[in-house]
Formats: sequence, C-alpha cells, structure tokens
Amino acid sequence: MADTPIPLEVRNITKRFGDTEVLKGLSLKAHKGDVITLIGASGSGKSTFLRCMNLLEQPNEGELIVHGESILFKETRHGREPADWKQVVNMRAKLSMVFQSFNLWAHMTLLENVIEAPVHVLGKSKREATEHARQLLERVGLGERADYYPAQLSGGQQQRGAIARALAMDPEVMLFDEPTSALDPELVGDVLKVMRDLAEEGRTMIVVTHEMAFARDVSTQVIYLHQGQVEEAGPPDQVLGNPNSERLKQFLAPKH
Amino acid sequence: MIDLHGYGPRLAEGALVTIELAVLSLILAIVLGLATASAKMSRNWVLHRLGTLYTTLIRGVPDLVLMMLLFFGGQIGVNMFTDWLYNRFDIDIFININEFVAGVVTIGLIFGAYMGETFRGAFLAVDNGQIEAGRAYGMSHWLVFRRIRFPQMMRHALPGLSNNWMVLLKTTALVSVIGLSDMVKVAAEASKATREPFTFMIIVAVIYLLIASVSEWGFARLQKRYDIGYGEAD
Amino acid sequence: MESLMNWLQTQLADNSIFTLQTLSYYGEGLVTTVQLVFLSLIIGLVLAVPLAIGRGSRHAWIRLPIFFYCYVFRGTPLLVQLYLIYYGVVFVEGIQDTWLWVILEKPFVPALIAFTLNTGAYTTEIFRGAIKATPKGEIEAARAYGMSWSLMLRRIVLPSAFRRALPAYGNEVIFMLHASAIASVVTIMDLTGAARFVYARFYAPFDAFLFVAAIYLCLTFTIIYFFRHLEKRLLAHLKPASG
Repeated sequence: MADTPIPLEVRNITKRFGDTEVLKGLSLKAHKGDVITLIGASGSGKSTFLRCMNLLEQPNEGELIVHGESILFKETRHGREPADWKQVVNMRAKLSMVFQSFNLWAHMTLLENVIEAPVHVLGKSKREATEHARQLLERVGLGERADYYPAQLSGGQQQRGAIARALAMDPEVMLFDEPTSALDPELVGDVLKVMRDLAEEGRTMIVVTHEMAFARDVSTQVIYLHQGQVEEAGPPDQVLGNPNSERLKQFLAPKH
Repeated sequence: MIDLHGYGPRLAEGALVTIELAVLSLILAIVLGLATASAKMSRNWVLHRLGTLYTTLIRGVPDLVLMMLLFFGGQIGVNMFTDWLYNRFDIDIFININEFVAGVVTIGLIFGAYMGETFRGAFLAVDNGQIEAGRAYGMSHWLVFRRIRFPQMMRHALPGLSNNWMVLLKTTALVSVIGLSDMVKVAAEASKATREPFTFMIIVAVIYLLIASVSEWGFARLQKRYDIGYGEAD
Repeated sequence: MESLMNWLQTQLADNSIFTLQTLSYYGEGLVTTVQLVFLSLIIGLVLAVPLAIGRGSRHAWIRLPIFFYCYVFRGTPLLVQLYLIYYGVVFVEGIQDTWLWVILEKPFVPALIAFTLNTGAYTTEIFRGAIKATPKGEIEAARAYGMSWSLMLRRIVLPSAFRRALPAYGNEVIFMLHASAIASVVTIMDLTGAARFVYARFYAPFDAFLFVAAIYLCLTFTIIYFFRHLEKRLLAHLKPASG
C-alpha cells in the first residue's frame, strides 16, 4: 500500500494561561480510522488540548502536522502565532469540529448551516453542496428539519445538525468537544448513535467526552489526562478495564 | 487665549439658562412620567387609553413641531382667553407667554412621555412577591410604594432615566429656535456677528459634553447605591 | 386627475388657509423632508458599517478616532452640529468665489452633511453593540471551519448583527425623521419649514402645526409598521417553531 500521510499528528504541545501551565508537553498521533477519546476530570486540559489541534487556542510550544504538512509558526510581540494564516485556514478546513454548545449559526437554517463552509470555504457549487447536505441531514435523522432555524430545534437535533455540518466538509479528522455534555439525558442517545455509526464507517475522530461507555465500545485508543499531562494511555480494554494509575481508578470508580 | 469678542459673559448666562431649563424640565418630566406610568398600568380603561394616547402622540411628532405648537399656539390660546375676558367682563389684562416657561413645559411634556415608558418598564420589573410580602406585613399602599416598590424600581429605571436625561439635555438646544437665549442662541448670534462659527460652536459643544460627562458620573454613583444587594451589576 | 382637482377646489373653497397653494407647500416640504432623511440615513448607514468594525479594532489609532467621533456627535445637539457646518461653510474665506458655492449656497447640502454625520455616529454605536453581541460560539465555529476574517465578517458576524440591530435602527430612523425638523432653522423648506411659513402668513398656529404634526405622525407609523414587518421576517429564526 502507498504511504499515505498520517491525518493528524501533534508533538509536545504546551499551553500557558498567564503563569499556569495547562498543557505540559502533550503528543498524539491519529492514524486513518482511529477513534481517540480524551478523558479526564474538568480542568485536566482535555478540551484545551483539542482546541489547540485546530488552533482555536494558540499553543506556546509544539508541532502540528496535518496530513503530512507541518504548520509554521513565528514569534511576535504577542507571543507565538501561525506564520501563515492561509495555511491555518486550509488546515482547519480539513479538521472539522463539533462543539459542546453546538454553535450553529443562528441566522441560517439548518441546511444553510451545513452548506455554508463547503460553498464559501471549499468553493463547492451551491447545488452540489445542497445535494450532499440533504443526504447528510437525512443520515442524522433530520431530513424533515432542513429548513428550520437552530432556535426551533431541540438540543439533540441541533447537535446532530452540527455533526452533519462537520461531515459536509469531508474532513480528514473530526474533533468532538464534549458533544453530549450540554444535552438533556434523554437526548444523549441519538447523538451517540450517530457518532458510533461514524466510527464504524472508519472516520478518524478525536473525542473529548465523559461518556465512558462510548469510550469503551468505540475508541481505538483512550488517553487519560491529569493536570495537563498524559497519566495513562492505550487501548480501551486496558485503560478502562485494567488501569494502572490510582487516580484513574478513582476517576473511573462509580460516584456516590 | 481664545478671543470671545466680548461674548463671554452672555455665553456663560446662556449656559446657565440651558442648565436651569434642563433641570426644571427633568423634574416636570419625572412627575409626568410617574403619572403616565400609573395611568397606563391602571385598571381604569379611560386612564389607560389617555396614557397611551399621550405617549403615542408625543413620540410620533418632532420635538420642534410640538414646541412651536405650544409656544405659538399657546400664545394665541391665551390671547383668545384674554380677549374673551375683555369682551365679556371688561377685564383688560395681557399675558405674554414667557419663552422659558414654554420651553420647560414643552420639554417636560415631551420627556414625560418617554419617562412614562421607562417607569412602566421599571415598575413591571419589580418582583410581585416583594410587593405581596410588604402587604402581608401590614404595610399600607403608600408605605409599600415608598419603602419597597420605589427603591427597587429605581434600580431598573436609572439606566433609562440617565438615557432620557442625556437626550433631554440636547433637546434644550431647540428653545433657541423659539427665541430663548440659551447658549446655542448666543453662540449662533456670536457666530454671525464675528464670522467665527467654529470658535463659538465648539465651545458650546464642549460645554454640552462636559455636562453630559458630569451627569454620567453622577448616574453611575446613583446606580451603585441602588444596586445594593444585587452583587455585580448585570 | 382633473376631477380630483375640482373636487379638492370645492372642498377647500370655504377654507382660507388650506388652499391648493399652501397644500403644495406642504407637499414640497414632504418631498424635501423625505429626501433629506432618506439620503442622510443611507449615507450614514454606509459610513457606519466600516466604522462599527473599526471601533472594535485592536489598533488604538483606528479605534480611538472612531470613538471620539461617536462621542462628540452623540454627545452634542444636532442643532449645534448643523450650525457649525452651515455657518462654518458659509464663512469660509473666499468660498463664494469658487465652483463649490453652487452646491453649498443652498442650505440643503450643509444640512445633509450634518444629518449624515449625526446618524452615522448613532448607527455606528448601534452596530457596534450588535457586533459585540454575536455569540462567541458562532464565531468559534466559523474559525474552526476555516473561514478567514473577512469571510467570517461577511457571512456570519454582519448578517447576524444586522438582524439584531434592526429594532434599535428602527428607532434611529424615527429619531432622524423627527430631528430633521430643525432643517427649517437654516431656511430649508421641509415639512416644518412649510408649517412655519403657513403660520407666519396666516398667523394660524393650530392649523399650521397640527396639520404638519398629523403628517409626521403618519410617517412615523409607516416607519414603525415597516420595521415590524421586517423584524417579523428577519427575526423569525429567534422564535421557537410553532409546528
């Protein structure tokens, strides 16, 4: 088989907010078809780590290699910044993110949300994008809701719509930032089901989540973060089934 | 030093007229505003309709037109009345409508309508449970108003009040059109006489900005006082 | 048309004030008022969009002058601004000998400049507030999907800010209509100017001013109705679905 570049690799990411170091040299390699879940208590840095991967947060140090292309940085008065914003824009188009609070654009219908970036960022034709978008909405069970505005949908519907929006980019890697945390418990299932389907069809995904069942069943790798460092990482059976770290054992213990 | 061509003292007098006019109109506007808010929240539909008619009419017509209507029309109305007195009772008096009074009345009337909306919103923002608690402890209607409703309402009314005051202050400039010697009128005369409009108009502009800044500071302090018990202002 | 004129003439026959002559003053005044307000609003709007964006710039040399402009024009009476520009232009040394005088001689242009600058300042602040109120998540999503700054501004921030600004902007339009009455102070024959003329000619303040007040009232209600309609259409996305 030909040597295809790894979709996403990050090396030695550090991030400081003021004097506190929230990420202390984190690395990760996502091969094609990997589903990597990041778990950890709140404040462990898992969301920040994810946001560093598409540069919504600027890491202070570290390397970012997307599809074999290394992102270039330069030092400025304000700290480290990407040297070439065009490159960042291209990179982001390859990694689409699903947010905890959905972040659908409120002034656009669901369909308009889904075709927005494909048309205006990737330069697809509107017809092609619309056709694709309708299929995707059908897939996440929102075929009937294409012309609704986000405010007219439930949280679960909004999140599934947001996943359709992410899929429309044909991303190399999908980043999920606690996608079910803002949902009412009865709505979580539908969203998780869509995500399981995506994992089964071989999508490369990096997921920050509190859903341990999802992490156990679906991921190829689980990373447990503690205070900005990797405490334990490996296949789910090992990390979740037979953890070494005391902290992880406590973290996984049923809460009373 | 800026050469005011001797207009300095008159300009200062004009500034005083502006301030007096603004403060007196504000007081009238607050009284009218409270009355309007009460009328609009009243169960009596005549009062309710009257309040609505007043605010709608005032807010639909330019300030300047209202001012001219009241000033010029008011004079004729008074003349008609004195003529009638003369013809009927042989009483010969002449009442001249004073520009200052006309100014205060018009501006007060205009901003009474705006204040009415502000106060109504503020009254409605006070939690009804607060009022009920007062009643439950045997407080009279008036006592509930004075001790509970009014102080709590002020917190919600202050931003609107402060906003209305800033607009009112600028509206006072219109009285120069009906002949009152506020600072704008003095500056306009001086501009024409000396052909130096920039000097005089900029001085007047700076005085307006100064008054606005001082009041902004004052309102911020008041707001702090009424925000007691609500933590950080939202 | 002819019969309408005849009808009007008979209606107005026993009326000494509202003759065809005075009605035509009001008619011309209406046209002038609408022109003045409409033009200043349009130009002010065009001015306000880039200014509102620049108002939030991280460069002080862009941000501060815009702040100063808004502060001065919102903090002083429009009448003072009008006088400043009207007299300021008239008294410029030698201006009466240049070709510019052809346009500036009429008070319409100085008034238009003053009104435009005034509404521009207010509109800038309205848009600034609306832009600042853009939900942070929507901006993040735009960035995460690879939008450049200008694309994000054009597709996400401004369209959503315009909708949010609509109610406040509707008020600004009414405010400008009412404020335009002071054009009559610099001898422009707008609606109020016509009323003042009729008042002076017939010494009939009630007829002159009540009539013009009624016209302003109708204009105001038309604007309110128009904006309600617009809001209903453009702000539909903020309301939950009915079905």
